[in-house]
Amino acid sequence: MEKFKSVIRDYPFIAFIIAFVILAFVPSVVFTDVYQSHLATLIFVNIVVAAGLNIVKGYCGQVTVGHVGLFAVGSYTAGTLFLYLGLGFWVTLPIAIIVTAFFGVAMGIPSFRLEGPYLALATLGGGEAIRLFIENGNFFRSTFGISDIPTPSLMGFNFDSPDRYYFISMTVMIIAVYFSFSILRSGVGRAFMSIREDPICAAAAGINVKKYKILAFILSAMFAGAAGAVYAHMPPGYIHPNNYTVIEMVTFLAMVVLGGLGHIWGGIIGAIVITIVYDLTRPLYKYQLLIFGLTIVLTILFMPKGLGGFIDRYFLEKRFKKKTGTEKT
Amino acid sequence: MLLKTKQLSKSFGGLKAMNKVDFELPKNEIRGIIGPNGSGKSTFFNLVSGIYDSDPGSYIEFDGHDITFTPPHEIASYGLSRTFQLLRLYQDMTVINNVMSGYHTRVPYKFFDAVIGRKKIWDQERAIKEEMMELLSFVGLADYAELNASELSGGQRRLLVLARAIAMKPKLLMLDEPAAGLSPVNVDNLMKIIMQLKEKYGLTLIIIEHILKVVMDTCNSVTVFDHGQKIAEGTPAQVKDDNAVIEAYLGKKMDDEEMRKALAV
Repeated sequence: MEKFKSVIRDYPFIAFIIAFVILAFVPSVVFTDVYQSHLATLIFVNIVVAAGLNIVKGYCGQVTVGHVGLFAVGSYTAGTLFLYLGLGFWVTLPIAIIVTAFFGVAMGIPSFRLEGPYLALATLGGGEAIRLFIENGNFFRSTFGISDIPTPSLMGFNFDSPDRYYFISMTVMIIAVYFSFSILRSGVGRAFMSIREDPICAAAAGINVKKYKILAFILSAMFAGAAGAVYAHMPPGYIHPNNYTVIEMVTFLAMVVLGGLGHIWGGIIGAIVITIVYDLTRPLYKYQLLIFGLTIVLTILFMPKGLGGFIDRYFLEKRFKKKTGTEKT
Repeated sequence: MLLKTKQLSKSFGGLKAMNKVDFELPKNEIRGIIGPNGSGKSTFFNLVSGIYDSDPGSYIEFDGHDITFTPPHEIASYGLSRTFQLLRLYQDMTVINNVMSGYHTRVPYKFFDAVIGRKKIWDQERAIKEEMMELLSFVGLADYAELNASELSGGQRRLLVLARAIAMKPKLLMLDEPAAGLSPVNVDNLMKIIMQLKEKYGLTLIIIEHILKVVMDTCNSVTVFDHGQKIAEGTPAQVKDDNAVIEAYLGKKMDDEEMRKALAV
Protein backbone atom coordinates (compact mmCIF):
# COMPACT_ATOMS: atom_id res chain seq x y z
CA MET A 1 0.00 0.00 0.00
CA GLU A 2 2.80 2.40 0.94
CA LYS A 3 4.59 1.63 -2.28
CA PHE A 4 1.43 2.17 -4.28
CA LYS A 5 0.97 5.54 -2.58
CA SER A 6 4.48 6.68 -3.41
CA VAL A 7 4.05 5.62 -7.05
CA ILE A 8 0.83 7.65 -7.27
CA ARG A 9 2.60 10.58 -5.65
CA ASP A 10 5.33 10.56 -8.27
CA TYR A 11 3.14 9.74 -11.24
CA PRO A 12 -0.30 11.19 -10.48
CA PHE A 13 -1.55 10.36 -13.97
CA ILE A 14 -1.73 6.70 -12.93
CA ALA A 15 -4.54 7.64 -10.54
CA PHE A 16 -6.31 9.30 -13.46
CA ILE A 17 -5.91 6.23 -15.64
CA ILE A 18 -7.46 4.17 -12.86
CA ALA A 19 -10.32 6.67 -12.60
CA PHE A 20 -10.70 6.46 -16.36
CA VAL A 21 -11.02 2.68 -16.30
CA ILE A 22 -13.52 2.74 -13.42
CA LEU A 23 -15.64 5.43 -15.07
CA ALA A 24 -15.53 3.54 -18.37
CA PHE A 25 -17.41 0.66 -16.77
CA VAL A 26 -20.02 2.85 -15.11
CA PRO A 27 -22.49 3.06 -18.04
CA SER A 28 -22.68 -0.69 -18.60
CA VAL A 29 -22.71 -1.64 -14.91
CA VAL A 30 -24.55 1.14 -13.07
CA PHE A 31 -26.75 3.03 -15.51
CA THR A 32 -30.19 1.67 -16.26
CA ASP A 33 -31.21 3.94 -19.13
CA VAL A 34 -29.73 6.25 -21.74
CA TYR A 35 -30.89 9.35 -19.93
CA GLN A 36 -28.45 8.70 -17.11
CA SER A 37 -25.59 8.68 -19.63
CA HIS A 38 -26.84 12.00 -20.93
CA LEU A 39 -26.93 13.37 -17.40
CA ALA A 40 -23.41 12.06 -16.79
CA THR A 41 -22.18 13.90 -19.88
CA LEU A 42 -23.76 17.09 -18.57
CA ILE A 43 -22.03 16.53 -15.25
CA PHE A 44 -18.68 16.12 -17.01
CA VAL A 45 -19.18 19.28 -19.05
CA ASN A 46 -20.06 21.17 -15.87
CA ILE A 47 -17.05 19.73 -14.08
CA VAL A 48 -14.75 21.10 -16.78
CA VAL A 49 -16.33 24.56 -16.61
CA ALA A 50 -16.38 24.60 -12.82
CA ALA A 51 -12.78 23.38 -12.58
CA GLY A 52 -11.78 26.26 -14.83
CA LEU A 53 -13.87 28.75 -12.91
CA ASN A 54 -12.26 27.53 -9.71
CA ILE A 55 -8.84 28.46 -11.07
CA VAL A 56 -9.72 32.06 -11.77
CA LYS A 57 -12.24 32.68 -9.00
CA GLY A 58 -11.37 30.21 -6.28
CA TYR A 59 -7.59 30.29 -6.57
CA CYS A 60 -6.74 33.60 -8.17
CA GLY A 61 -9.60 35.43 -6.46
CA GLN A 62 -10.74 37.32 -9.55
CA VAL A 63 -14.52 37.57 -9.37
CA THR A 64 -15.69 36.79 -12.89
CA VAL A 65 -19.35 36.59 -13.78
CA GLY A 66 -18.80 36.38 -17.51
CA HIS A 67 -17.60 32.85 -17.65
CA VAL A 68 -20.71 31.60 -19.38
CA GLY A 69 -19.77 33.92 -22.25
CA LEU A 70 -16.51 32.01 -22.68
CA PHE A 71 -18.47 28.76 -22.56
CA ALA A 72 -20.64 30.18 -25.36
CA VAL A 73 -17.55 31.15 -27.36
CA GLY A 74 -16.37 27.55 -27.15
CA SER A 75 -19.73 26.18 -28.23
CA TYR A 76 -20.24 28.62 -31.06
CA THR A 77 -16.70 28.26 -32.37
CA ALA A 78 -17.38 24.55 -32.71
CA GLY A 79 -20.88 25.20 -34.07
CA THR A 80 -19.92 27.74 -36.71
CA LEU A 81 -16.86 25.76 -37.80
CA PHE A 82 -19.21 22.87 -38.48
CA LEU A 83 -21.87 25.06 -40.07
CA TYR A 84 -19.64 26.84 -42.58
CA LEU A 85 -16.68 24.52 -43.01
CA GLY A 86 -18.21 21.18 -42.09
CA LEU A 87 -15.43 20.43 -39.63
CA GLY A 88 -15.77 17.63 -37.10
CA PHE A 89 -15.18 17.39 -33.37
CA TRP A 90 -11.48 16.51 -33.52
CA VAL A 91 -10.71 19.77 -35.32
CA THR A 92 -13.25 22.03 -33.65
CA LEU A 93 -12.22 21.09 -30.10
CA PRO A 94 -8.63 22.41 -30.29
CA ILE A 95 -9.70 25.46 -32.31
CA ALA A 96 -12.46 26.22 -29.79
CA ILE A 97 -9.94 25.99 -26.95
CA ILE A 98 -7.53 28.40 -28.68
CA VAL A 99 -10.22 30.91 -29.70
CA THR A 100 -11.68 30.91 -26.19
CA ALA A 101 -8.22 31.49 -24.75
CA PHE A 102 -8.05 34.77 -26.69
CA PHE A 103 -11.43 35.79 -25.35
CA GLY A 104 -10.10 34.90 -21.92
CA VAL A 105 -7.33 37.46 -22.37
CA ALA A 106 -9.90 40.11 -23.24
CA MET A 107 -11.97 39.14 -20.20
CA GLY A 108 -8.90 39.26 -17.98
CA ILE A 109 -7.53 42.64 -18.93
CA PRO A 110 -10.03 44.58 -16.75
CA SER A 111 -8.70 42.67 -13.74
CA PHE A 112 -5.50 44.75 -13.88
CA ARG A 113 -7.40 47.75 -12.61
CA LEU A 114 -10.66 46.48 -11.16
CA GLU A 115 -11.32 44.16 -8.31
CA GLY A 116 -14.21 42.66 -6.38
CA PRO A 117 -17.71 43.77 -7.34
CA TYR A 118 -16.40 46.18 -10.00
CA LEU A 119 -14.60 43.40 -11.82
CA ALA A 120 -17.74 41.29 -11.48
CA LEU A 121 -19.74 44.01 -13.23
CA ALA A 122 -17.18 44.37 -16.02
CA THR A 123 -17.05 40.64 -16.68
CA LEU A 124 -20.82 40.34 -16.45
CA GLY A 125 -20.98 42.94 -19.20
CA GLY A 126 -18.42 41.01 -21.21
CA GLY A 127 -20.31 37.73 -20.91
CA GLU A 128 -23.66 39.28 -21.78
CA ALA A 129 -22.13 41.15 -24.71
CA ILE A 130 -20.93 37.88 -26.18
CA ARG A 131 -24.37 36.33 -25.79
CA LEU A 132 -26.15 39.31 -27.32
CA PHE A 133 -23.66 39.39 -30.17
CA ILE A 134 -24.46 35.77 -30.93
CA GLU A 135 -28.17 36.26 -30.48
CA ASN A 136 -28.43 39.23 -32.83
CA GLY A 137 -26.30 38.08 -35.72
CA ASN A 138 -27.70 35.98 -38.48
CA PHE A 139 -24.21 34.61 -38.95
CA PHE A 140 -24.76 32.48 -35.85
CA ARG A 141 -28.29 31.37 -36.82
CA SER A 142 -29.47 33.50 -33.95
CA THR A 143 -33.05 32.55 -33.21
CA PHE A 144 -33.05 29.04 -34.62
CA GLY A 145 -29.80 27.97 -33.05
CA ILE A 146 -27.34 25.67 -34.79
CA SER A 147 -28.64 22.14 -35.07
CA ASP A 148 -27.38 18.74 -36.22
CA ILE A 149 -23.83 19.33 -35.09
CA PRO A 150 -22.36 15.87 -35.67
CA THR A 151 -20.96 13.63 -32.97
CA PRO A 152 -17.35 12.60 -33.35
CA SER A 153 -16.26 9.28 -34.74
CA LEU A 154 -12.99 7.50 -34.25
CA MET A 155 -11.70 4.80 -36.58
CA GLY A 156 -15.14 4.00 -37.87
CA PHE A 157 -16.77 4.01 -34.44
CA ASN A 158 -19.34 6.79 -34.13
CA PHE A 159 -20.10 8.19 -30.68
CA ASP A 160 -23.61 9.03 -31.80
CA SER A 161 -25.76 8.18 -28.78
CA PRO A 162 -25.60 9.54 -25.23
CA ASP A 163 -24.21 6.33 -23.82
CA ARG A 164 -21.43 6.39 -26.42
CA TYR A 165 -20.77 10.13 -26.20
CA TYR A 166 -20.27 9.55 -22.48
CA PHE A 167 -16.75 8.30 -23.29
CA ILE A 168 -15.82 11.48 -25.15
CA SER A 169 -17.00 13.78 -22.40
CA MET A 170 -15.44 11.59 -19.76
CA THR A 171 -12.04 11.65 -21.49
CA VAL A 172 -12.09 15.43 -21.86
CA MET A 173 -13.15 15.78 -18.22
CA ILE A 174 -10.38 13.52 -16.91
CA ILE A 175 -7.69 15.30 -18.93
CA ALA A 176 -8.99 18.70 -17.83
CA VAL A 177 -9.12 17.72 -14.18
CA TYR A 178 -5.62 16.25 -14.45
CA PHE A 179 -4.29 19.54 -15.81
CA SER A 180 -6.11 21.59 -13.20
CA PHE A 181 -4.71 19.39 -10.42
CA SER A 182 -1.14 19.62 -11.62
CA ILE A 183 -1.36 23.36 -12.13
CA LEU A 184 -2.98 24.10 -8.79
CA ARG A 185 -0.75 21.81 -6.76
CA SER A 186 2.43 23.32 -8.18
CA GLY A 187 4.01 26.69 -7.49
CA VAL A 188 1.65 28.24 -10.03
CA GLY A 189 -1.34 27.43 -7.80
CA ARG A 190 0.46 28.98 -4.86
CA ALA A 191 1.16 32.12 -6.87
CA PHE A 192 -2.57 32.32 -7.73
CA MET A 193 -3.49 32.00 -4.07
CA SER A 194 -1.06 34.68 -2.95
CA ILE A 195 -2.56 37.05 -5.51
CA ARG A 196 -6.01 36.28 -4.13
CA GLU A 197 -4.88 36.95 -0.58
CA ASP A 198 -2.76 40.04 -1.12
CA PRO A 199 -1.58 41.25 -4.52
CA ILE A 200 0.82 43.83 -3.11
CA CYS A 201 2.59 41.36 -0.88
CA ALA A 202 2.62 38.84 -3.74
CA ALA A 203 4.38 41.38 -5.94
CA ALA A 204 6.93 42.08 -3.21
CA ALA A 205 7.54 38.34 -2.95
CA GLY A 206 8.52 38.19 -6.61
CA ILE A 207 5.24 37.15 -8.23
CA ASN A 208 4.38 38.91 -11.47
CA VAL A 209 0.80 39.77 -10.56
CA LYS A 210 -0.42 40.84 -14.00
CA LYS A 211 1.10 37.84 -15.72
CA TYR A 212 -0.45 35.38 -13.31
CA LYS A 213 -3.84 37.09 -13.38
CA ILE A 214 -3.99 36.86 -17.15
CA LEU A 215 -2.67 33.31 -16.99
CA ALA A 216 -5.52 32.35 -14.67
CA PHE A 217 -8.03 33.89 -17.07
CA ILE A 218 -6.49 32.12 -20.07
CA LEU A 219 -6.42 28.75 -18.33
CA SER A 220 -9.99 28.97 -17.15
CA ALA A 221 -11.08 30.19 -20.60
CA MET A 222 -9.44 27.15 -22.19
CA PHE A 223 -11.38 24.91 -19.81
CA ALA A 224 -14.60 26.72 -20.68
CA GLY A 225 -13.80 26.47 -24.39
CA ALA A 226 -13.21 22.73 -24.20
CA ALA A 227 -16.44 22.28 -22.25
CA GLY A 228 -18.30 24.43 -24.76
CA ALA A 229 -17.10 22.36 -27.71
CA VAL A 230 -18.01 19.12 -25.96
CA TYR A 231 -21.41 20.58 -25.15
CA ALA A 232 -22.00 21.65 -28.75
CA HIS A 233 -21.21 18.23 -30.18
CA MET A 234 -23.25 16.42 -27.54
CA PRO A 235 -26.14 14.56 -29.16
CA PRO A 236 -28.55 15.82 -30.40
CA GLY A 237 -26.01 18.50 -31.34
CA TYR A 238 -28.09 21.61 -30.85
CA ILE A 239 -27.00 24.97 -29.42
CA HIS A 240 -29.04 28.08 -28.85
CA PRO A 241 -28.15 31.45 -27.26
CA ASN A 242 -30.72 30.79 -24.54
CA ASN A 243 -28.43 28.14 -23.10
CA TYR A 244 -25.81 30.77 -22.20
CA THR A 245 -27.66 33.27 -20.04
CA VAL A 246 -26.98 34.69 -16.61
CA ILE A 247 -29.04 31.81 -15.22
CA GLU A 248 -26.39 29.35 -16.37
CA MET A 249 -23.75 31.64 -14.92
CA VAL A 250 -25.43 31.55 -11.53
CA THR A 251 -25.50 27.76 -11.76
CA PHE A 252 -21.79 27.62 -12.51
CA LEU A 253 -21.07 30.00 -9.64
CA ALA A 254 -23.23 27.94 -7.31
CA MET A 255 -21.16 24.88 -8.23
CA VAL A 256 -17.85 26.50 -7.35
CA VAL A 257 -19.15 28.13 -4.20
CA LEU A 258 -20.87 25.00 -2.93
CA GLY A 259 -17.91 22.79 -3.77
CA GLY A 260 -15.48 25.16 -2.09
CA LEU A 261 -13.83 28.27 -3.50
CA GLY A 262 -10.12 27.68 -3.68
CA HIS A 263 -10.41 24.01 -2.82
CA ILE A 264 -8.77 21.74 -5.34
CA TRP A 265 -11.86 19.51 -5.50
CA GLY A 266 -14.20 22.48 -5.24
CA GLY A 267 -15.50 22.73 -8.78
CA ILE A 268 -15.75 18.97 -9.16
CA ILE A 269 -17.82 18.26 -6.05
CA GLY A 270 -20.03 21.27 -6.75
CA ALA A 271 -20.62 20.32 -10.38
CA ILE A 272 -21.70 16.80 -9.46
CA VAL A 273 -24.03 17.90 -6.67
CA ILE A 274 -25.59 20.86 -8.48
CA THR A 275 -26.12 19.06 -11.78
CA ILE A 276 -27.89 16.17 -10.06
CA VAL A 277 -29.97 18.48 -7.86
CA TYR A 278 -30.80 20.59 -10.91
CA ASP A 279 -32.05 17.51 -12.71
CA LEU A 280 -34.07 16.18 -9.79
CA THR A 281 -35.78 19.54 -9.21
CA ARG A 282 -36.81 19.99 -12.84
CA PRO A 283 -40.53 19.76 -11.91
CA LEU A 284 -39.96 22.79 -9.65
CA TYR A 285 -38.31 24.77 -12.41
CA LYS A 286 -39.97 27.99 -11.26
CA TYR A 287 -38.06 27.88 -8.00
CA GLN A 288 -34.73 26.57 -9.24
CA LEU A 289 -33.05 29.98 -9.46
CA LEU A 290 -34.33 30.81 -6.01
CA ILE A 291 -32.85 27.57 -4.72
CA PHE A 292 -29.46 28.22 -6.30
CA GLY A 293 -29.35 31.80 -5.10
CA LEU A 294 -30.15 30.64 -1.59
CA THR A 295 -27.55 27.89 -1.87
CA ILE A 296 -24.85 30.44 -2.67
CA VAL A 297 -25.86 32.77 0.16
CA LEU A 298 -26.25 30.02 2.76
CA THR A 299 -23.00 28.31 1.77
CA ILE A 300 -21.07 31.56 2.05
CA LEU A 301 -22.67 32.27 5.42
CA PHE A 302 -22.34 28.88 7.07
CA MET A 303 -19.73 27.00 5.09
CA PRO A 304 -17.43 29.66 3.62
CA LYS A 305 -15.05 27.07 2.22
CA GLY A 306 -17.79 24.91 0.76
CA LEU A 307 -18.18 21.17 0.99
CA GLY A 308 -14.52 20.59 0.15
CA GLY A 309 -13.31 22.84 2.95
CA PHE A 310 -15.80 21.28 5.34
CA ILE A 311 -14.45 17.78 4.71
CA ASP A 312 -10.84 19.01 4.89
CA ARG A 313 -11.50 20.67 8.22
CA TYR A 314 -12.78 17.41 9.68
CA PHE A 315 -9.66 15.47 8.75
CA LEU A 316 -7.34 18.30 9.70
CA GLU A 317 -8.77 18.51 13.20
CA LYS A 318 -8.43 14.78 13.59
CA ARG A 319 -4.80 14.91 12.55
CA PHE A 320 -4.03 17.92 14.73
CA LYS A 321 -5.51 16.15 17.75
CA LYS A 322 -3.44 13.08 17.06
CA LYS A 323 -0.24 15.06 16.65
CA THR A 324 -0.45 17.42 19.59
CA GLY A 325 -2.91 15.62 21.83
CA THR A 326 -4.90 18.80 22.30
CA GLU A 327 -8.21 20.05 21.09
CA LYS A 328 -7.98 22.77 18.45
CA THR A 329 -10.64 25.34 19.01
CA MET B 1 27.38 49.10 -1.80
CA LEU B 2 24.42 46.77 -1.74
CA LEU B 3 21.79 49.48 -1.77
CA LYS B 4 22.26 53.03 -2.91
CA THR B 5 19.74 55.82 -3.44
CA LYS B 6 20.43 59.24 -4.86
CA GLN B 7 18.07 62.20 -4.60
CA LEU B 8 15.24 59.82 -3.77
CA SER B 9 12.00 61.81 -3.74
CA LYS B 10 8.32 61.05 -3.60
CA SER B 11 5.47 63.48 -3.26
CA PHE B 12 1.80 62.78 -2.76
CA GLY B 13 0.13 65.88 -4.12
CA GLY B 14 1.80 68.73 -2.29
CA LEU B 15 3.20 66.58 0.49
CA LYS B 16 6.82 65.64 0.11
CA ALA B 17 6.84 62.22 1.73
CA MET B 18 10.44 61.67 0.74
CA ASN B 19 12.71 64.56 -0.05
CA LYS B 20 16.05 64.03 -1.82
CA VAL B 21 17.38 61.23 0.32
CA ASP B 22 20.85 59.86 -0.32
CA PHE B 23 21.26 56.51 1.30
CA GLU B 24 24.04 53.97 1.16
CA LEU B 25 24.17 50.56 2.69
CA PRO B 26 27.20 48.25 2.53
CA LYS B 27 26.90 44.48 2.65
CA ASN B 28 26.48 42.62 5.95
CA GLU B 29 25.39 45.67 7.84
CA ILE B 30 22.42 45.95 10.16
CA ARG B 31 20.93 49.36 9.61
CA GLY B 32 18.25 50.75 11.86
CA ILE B 33 15.84 53.38 10.61
CA ILE B 34 14.09 55.51 13.18
CA GLY B 35 11.98 58.61 13.08
CA PRO B 36 8.63 59.91 14.27
CA ASN B 37 5.41 58.68 12.69
CA GLY B 38 4.93 60.06 9.21
CA SER B 39 8.61 60.78 8.75
CA GLY B 40 8.86 58.64 5.62
CA LYS B 41 10.30 55.38 6.90
CA SER B 42 7.70 53.13 5.34
CA THR B 43 7.61 55.30 2.21
CA PHE B 44 11.32 54.68 1.89
CA PHE B 45 10.68 50.93 2.02
CA ASN B 46 7.87 51.14 -0.51
CA LEU B 47 10.03 53.15 -2.88
CA VAL B 48 12.99 50.83 -2.67
CA SER B 49 10.90 47.66 -3.06
CA GLY B 50 9.07 49.18 -6.02
CA ILE B 51 5.57 49.34 -4.57
CA TYR B 52 5.56 53.10 -5.17
CA ASP B 53 7.10 54.74 -8.21
CA SER B 54 9.62 57.36 -7.19
CA ASP B 55 9.53 60.89 -8.58
CA PRO B 56 11.61 61.80 -11.62
CA GLY B 57 15.20 62.54 -10.77
CA SER B 58 15.47 59.77 -8.22
CA TYR B 59 17.91 56.94 -8.55
CA ILE B 60 17.94 53.60 -6.74
CA GLU B 61 20.56 50.96 -7.21
CA PHE B 62 20.48 47.51 -5.68
CA ASP B 63 23.34 45.04 -6.00
CA GLY B 64 24.53 46.62 -9.24
CA HIS B 65 21.07 46.82 -10.84
CA ASP B 66 19.34 50.10 -11.51
CA ILE B 67 15.93 49.46 -9.97
CA THR B 68 14.49 52.97 -10.09
CA PHE B 69 11.62 52.06 -12.40
CA THR B 70 11.67 48.28 -12.04
CA PRO B 71 8.40 46.57 -11.05
CA PRO B 72 8.37 45.00 -7.57
CA HIS B 73 8.45 41.36 -8.65
CA GLU B 74 11.65 41.93 -10.60
CA ILE B 75 13.27 43.74 -7.69
CA ALA B 76 12.38 40.75 -5.53
CA SER B 77 14.05 38.44 -8.02
CA TYR B 78 17.32 40.38 -7.58
CA GLY B 79 17.22 39.31 -3.93
CA LEU B 80 15.43 42.05 -2.07
CA SER B 81 12.83 40.90 0.42
CA ARG B 82 10.69 42.88 2.78
CA THR B 83 7.99 42.59 5.39
CA PHE B 84 5.09 44.95 5.88
CA GLN B 85 4.05 46.97 8.86
CA LEU B 86 0.53 45.54 8.60
CA LEU B 87 1.93 42.05 7.99
CA ARG B 88 -0.15 41.32 4.87
CA LEU B 89 -0.32 37.68 5.83
CA TYR B 90 -2.04 35.33 3.40
CA GLN B 91 -4.86 34.69 5.88
CA ASP B 92 -6.67 31.98 3.98
CA MET B 93 -3.63 29.86 3.17
CA THR B 94 -1.98 27.28 5.36
CA VAL B 95 1.15 28.28 7.23
CA ILE B 96 3.36 26.07 5.06
CA ASN B 97 1.82 27.48 1.87
CA ASN B 98 2.48 30.99 3.17
CA VAL B 99 6.14 30.22 3.53
CA MET B 100 6.33 28.27 0.27
CA SER B 101 4.82 31.15 -1.66
CA GLY B 102 7.75 33.22 -0.46
CA TYR B 103 9.94 30.72 -2.30
CA HIS B 104 8.45 31.75 -5.63
CA THR B 105 11.53 33.45 -7.11
CA ARG B 106 13.57 30.32 -6.51
CA VAL B 107 11.13 27.78 -7.94
CA PRO B 108 13.30 25.88 -10.42
CA TYR B 109 10.76 24.45 -12.87
CA LYS B 110 8.92 26.01 -15.80
CA PHE B 111 5.18 26.50 -16.14
CA PHE B 112 4.68 23.85 -18.81
CA ASP B 113 6.38 21.21 -16.70
CA ALA B 114 3.83 22.04 -14.04
CA VAL B 115 0.90 21.74 -16.45
CA ILE B 116 2.02 18.33 -17.62
CA GLY B 117 2.79 17.34 -14.04
CA ARG B 118 6.10 15.61 -14.60
CA LYS B 119 7.71 13.59 -11.84
CA LYS B 120 10.53 16.08 -11.51
CA ILE B 121 8.01 18.70 -10.39
CA TRP B 122 6.78 16.67 -7.47
CA ASP B 123 10.32 15.81 -6.43
CA GLN B 124 11.27 19.46 -6.47
CA GLU B 125 8.07 20.47 -4.70
CA ARG B 126 8.82 17.97 -1.94
CA ALA B 127 12.36 19.29 -1.62
CA ILE B 128 11.00 22.84 -1.34
CA LYS B 129 8.48 21.74 1.28
CA GLU B 130 11.18 20.00 3.31
CA GLU B 131 13.41 23.05 3.20
CA MET B 132 10.53 25.28 4.22
CA MET B 133 9.53 22.96 7.07
CA GLU B 134 13.08 23.28 8.31
CA LEU B 135 12.75 27.04 8.22
CA LEU B 136 9.41 26.81 10.03
CA SER B 137 10.84 24.67 12.79
CA PHE B 138 13.71 27.14 13.05
CA VAL B 139 11.27 29.93 13.89
CA GLY B 140 9.21 27.49 15.96
CA LEU B 141 6.04 27.11 13.88
CA ALA B 142 6.50 23.56 12.58
CA ASP B 143 3.56 22.22 14.59
CA TYR B 144 1.21 24.70 12.97
CA ALA B 145 2.24 24.04 9.38
CA GLU B 146 -1.14 22.72 8.24
CA LEU B 147 -3.26 25.35 9.99
CA ASN B 148 -4.59 28.47 8.35
CA ALA B 149 -2.45 31.51 8.94
CA SER B 150 -5.48 33.35 10.33
CA GLU B 151 -5.50 30.94 13.27
CA LEU B 152 -2.11 32.01 14.57
CA SER B 153 -1.56 34.39 17.47
CA GLY B 154 -0.08 37.85 16.99
CA GLY B 155 3.44 36.81 17.93
CA GLN B 156 3.30 33.73 15.73
CA ARG B 157 2.15 35.84 12.81
CA ARG B 158 5.20 38.06 13.17
CA LEU B 159 7.39 34.97 13.03
CA LEU B 160 5.53 33.62 10.01
CA VAL B 161 5.93 36.87 8.09
CA LEU B 162 9.63 36.78 8.91
CA ALA B 163 9.91 33.19 7.68
CA ARG B 164 8.05 34.03 4.49
CA ALA B 165 10.40 36.91 3.76
CA ILE B 166 13.46 34.71 4.38
CA ALA B 167 12.14 31.91 2.14
CA MET B 168 13.46 33.55 -1.01
CA LYS B 169 17.00 33.63 0.45
CA PRO B 170 17.31 37.39 -0.03
CA LYS B 171 20.51 39.37 -0.06
CA LEU B 172 18.80 42.27 1.65
CA LEU B 173 15.96 41.91 4.10
CA MET B 174 13.94 44.97 5.02
CA LEU B 175 11.87 44.59 8.18
CA ASP B 176 9.11 47.11 8.79
CA GLU B 177 8.52 47.20 12.53
CA PRO B 178 9.11 43.51 13.15
CA ALA B 179 8.49 43.81 16.86
CA ALA B 180 5.44 46.07 16.92
CA GLY B 181 2.92 44.93 19.49
CA LEU B 182 5.10 42.25 21.04
CA SER B 183 5.74 41.85 24.75
CA PRO B 184 9.34 42.53 25.91
CA VAL B 185 10.13 38.81 26.24
CA ASN B 186 8.85 38.11 22.74
CA VAL B 187 10.82 41.06 21.37
CA ASP B 188 14.03 39.58 22.74
CA ASN B 189 13.11 36.20 21.32
CA LEU B 190 12.32 37.67 17.91
CA MET B 191 15.52 39.68 17.76
CA LYS B 192 17.49 36.57 18.70
CA ILE B 193 15.86 34.67 15.82
CA ILE B 194 16.54 37.54 13.42
CA MET B 195 20.21 37.59 14.43
CA GLN B 196 20.50 33.83 14.01
CA LEU B 197 18.90 34.04 10.57
CA LYS B 198 21.30 36.81 9.61
CA GLU B 199 24.25 34.62 10.52
CA LYS B 200 22.78 31.58 8.79
CA TYR B 201 21.91 33.24 5.49
CA GLY B 202 24.46 36.05 5.43
CA LEU B 203 21.78 38.72 5.26
CA THR B 204 22.05 42.45 5.18
CA LEU B 205 19.27 44.00 7.23
CA ILE B 206 17.37 47.25 7.38
CA ILE B 207 15.10 47.46 10.39
CA ILE B 208 12.46 50.09 11.04
CA GLU B 209 11.69 50.00 14.70
CA HIS B 210 10.18 52.24 17.32
CA ILE B 211 11.60 50.31 20.25
CA LEU B 212 14.85 52.25 20.61
CA LYS B 213 16.44 49.64 22.82
CA VAL B 214 16.24 47.14 19.97
CA VAL B 215 17.77 49.58 17.52
CA MET B 216 20.55 50.68 19.83
CA ASP B 217 21.46 47.13 20.85
CA THR B 218 21.41 45.35 17.50
CA CYS B 219 22.15 47.82 14.74
CA ASN B 220 25.62 48.70 13.47
CA SER B 221 24.39 52.02 12.22
CA VAL B 222 21.27 54.12 12.39
CA THR B 223 19.59 56.47 9.95
CA VAL B 224 17.09 58.99 11.26
CA PHE B 225 14.28 60.37 9.12
CA ASP B 226 12.10 63.36 9.80
CA HIS B 227 9.60 64.97 7.45
CA GLY B 228 10.86 62.88 4.56
CA GLN B 229 14.44 63.95 5.05
CA LYS B 230 17.46 62.21 6.42
CA ILE B 231 18.46 64.23 9.46
CA ALA B 232 21.20 62.05 10.91
CA GLU B 233 23.22 58.96 10.26
CA GLY B 234 25.92 57.16 12.20
CA THR B 235 26.55 54.64 14.90
CA PRO B 236 23.83 54.29 17.54
CA ALA B 237 25.95 56.20 20.05
CA GLN B 238 26.49 59.13 17.68
CA VAL B 239 22.85 59.31 16.76
CA LYS B 240 21.70 59.20 20.35
CA ASP B 241 23.52 62.44 21.13
CA ASP B 242 22.65 64.23 17.91
CA ASN B 243 20.74 67.39 18.66
CA ALA B 244 18.56 67.24 15.56
CA VAL B 245 17.48 63.70 16.49
CA ILE B 246 16.64 64.62 20.03
CA GLU B 247 14.64 67.56 18.79
CA ALA B 248 12.68 65.48 16.32
CA TYR B 249 12.05 62.64 18.67
CA LEU B 250 11.82 64.10 22.15
CA GLY B 251 11.39 67.78 21.63
CA LYS B 252 14.01 70.48 22.08
CA LYS B 253 16.68 70.22 24.71
CA MET B 254 16.41 73.30 26.88
CA ASP B 255 18.95 74.86 29.13
CA ASP B 256 17.94 76.04 32.57
CA GLU B 257 17.21 79.58 31.53
CA GLU B 258 14.81 78.55 28.76
CA MET B 259 13.14 76.04 31.04
CA ARG B 260 12.47 78.68 33.67
CA LYS B 261 10.98 80.97 31.07
CA ALA B 262 8.76 78.26 29.69
CA LEU B 263 7.48 77.30 33.12
CA ALA B 264 6.85 80.88 34.20
CA VAL B 265 4.37 81.51 31.40
